[in-house]
Amino acid sequence: MRSLKNHISLIIPLFAILFAVEFYFIISKIISEYEVNLSKDYSIIVVSKKPLTLPELKAVEPDIALIQEVDSDLIIKRLKQNGVDVNYEELKNFLPHFYKVYLSSFPSADMLEHIKQVLRGIDGVTRVETFTKVHEKMYHFLIFLKKISKFFLGIIFVTSIMLVFKQIEIWNLEHSERMYIMALFGAPLWMRNAILIKLSVIDTVISTILVYLIYSYLLSTKYLKELLGFENITISSQDLLKDMGWLFALGILISVVNVLIVSWRQPKIA
Amino acid sequence: MSREKNVIIAKDLYLEYKKDVPIIKDSTFSIKSGSFVFITGPSGSGKSTLLKSFYGELKPKGGNLQIGGVSLNDIKSSKLAFLRKYLGIIFQDYKLIKEWTVEKNVMLPLLIAGYSKDVCEAQTKRLLKHVRLSGKENYYPLELSGGEQQRVAMARALAHNPVIILADEPTGNLDEYSSRVIWNLLEGANEQLGTTVVVVTHSIPNNLKVPFKHFYIENGTVYEIS
Ligand SMILES: Nc1ncnc2c1ncn2[C@@H]1O[C@H](COP(=O)(O)OP(=O)(O)OP(=O)(O)O)[C@@H](O)[C@H]1O
Ligand SMILES: [Mg+2]
Repeated sequence: MRSLKNHISLIIPLFAILFAVEFYFIISKIISEYEVNLSKDYSIIVVSKKPLTLPELKAVEPDIALIQEVDSDLIIKRLKQNGVDVNYEELKNFLPHFYKVYLSSFPSADMLEHIKQVLRGIDGVTRVETFTKVHEKMYHFLIFLKKISKFFLGIIFVTSIMLVFKQIEIWNLEHSERMYIMALFGAPLWMRNAILIKLSVIDTVISTILVYLIYSYLLSTKYLKELLGFENITISSQDLLKDMGWLFALGILISVVNVLIVSWRQPKIA
Repeated sequence: MSREKNVIIAKDLYLEYKKDVPIIKDSTFSIKSGSFVFITGPSGSGKSTLLKSFYGELKPKGGNLQIGGVSLNDIKSSKLAFLRKYLGIIFQDYKLIKEWTVEKNVMLPLLIAGYSKDVCEAQTKRLLKHVRLSGKENYYPLELSGGEQQRVAMARALAHNPVIILADEPTGNLDEYSSRVIWNLLEGANEQLGTTVVVVTHSIPNNLKVPFKHFYIENGTVYEIS
């Protein structure tokens, strides 16, 4: 019973650290996938008197990934549908070129403004229009979340490490007699600390599994996808498992470092 | 370590727990490798304290102390751990690990020395038979009588064939027959393996087969009396 309580006192802070770190990982991952989605979703329309080529645009703005000419037949067709009566063949020669310009990444507001200026400066370009999508608000919210989670991660990290340290200190006291006797027979530091490290490893495994279970539940719910508004953003269970590898390593590192610090602080018996 | 070399050398040894309260002082003596030594003296005279300095738990505050050519005055903990692997210690209060079974307790020095599981088990079995504790392998120390615990401590001290045995009242809690068994084991190690044996005791057994030296502690000073 007492040992169960001891385990829980280590599992809770370890869990808190790992949960917070994983939260940060997931937010970052969602943001980067979101950016990919947004940059596909996003377009800039350029109207130009002269034909434009991709290399030409890339030379002035390397962030431009793709341009697509809007077929003038399409525009004429639309005019016809609206019943505008003109000589279409003649009009075709007067119509400027319309291009959709795609960027390689999702631009910030400043960058967008900068790109607009650059495009306007190209010879022959008469208009540049940008289209913002509803998703942008969500994107800014995610960025905000990431910043906040970084802050909380820091706080959780510091307080939890202190709790981990306290718990390992308690273990050390509980096992100090055995460790002392082992030292009298010449046992090296790692052997004396083996029991503490073993206990920490068990608790790290338990904490990591808990984090995994909770996140795989949360990520499997429909709720998240609806919130993000993109069907194709997913955190696969492989991704999650890979993260668990990192979390486990982090947990072990925290415990082992704490065990070593605690044992250094012990009065020297050897 | 050859037979004629001194394995323990103390020069003007000074030991204290509290500042300026000497327990051992002005003591110069040496113990030859392969010898059998008794240390006697009144209760509280500093016999256990002297042994403590031999295994490095209490550092000399003055003078010099060398074990196996290694100075204990300012020894590093890694070197001390190395040195202790060659010692077999029987403590006055046994110092058995109470969370471990008798078998694992006896195995401790073998585990530290890194022997394989088979060797550890065979050696432990053999020693427990010697101290007449076969069948109690899976008991925990607190399930044993005082004398039985003392014999576990004896088996543990012999397990790794140490170069020096330091025994603090190894027969203190034993009847005459069990005491005889312990003395036989210590004599055997000394005779057959050339182990140096240092025993703190209140009464030197009178039918010992091996030659021995006798140190006496009085008023904090160690004298060699025979
Ligand atoms: N940890 C300690 N701190 C302070 N003083 C101590 C400590 N251990 C022992 N002493 C003191 O050192 C003196 C010698 O103690 P020690 O245990 O060496 O005696 P001893 O000769 O082994 O006695 P006994 O025959 O009763 O075992 C005692 O007066 C004791 O009070
Ligand atoms: Mg004593």
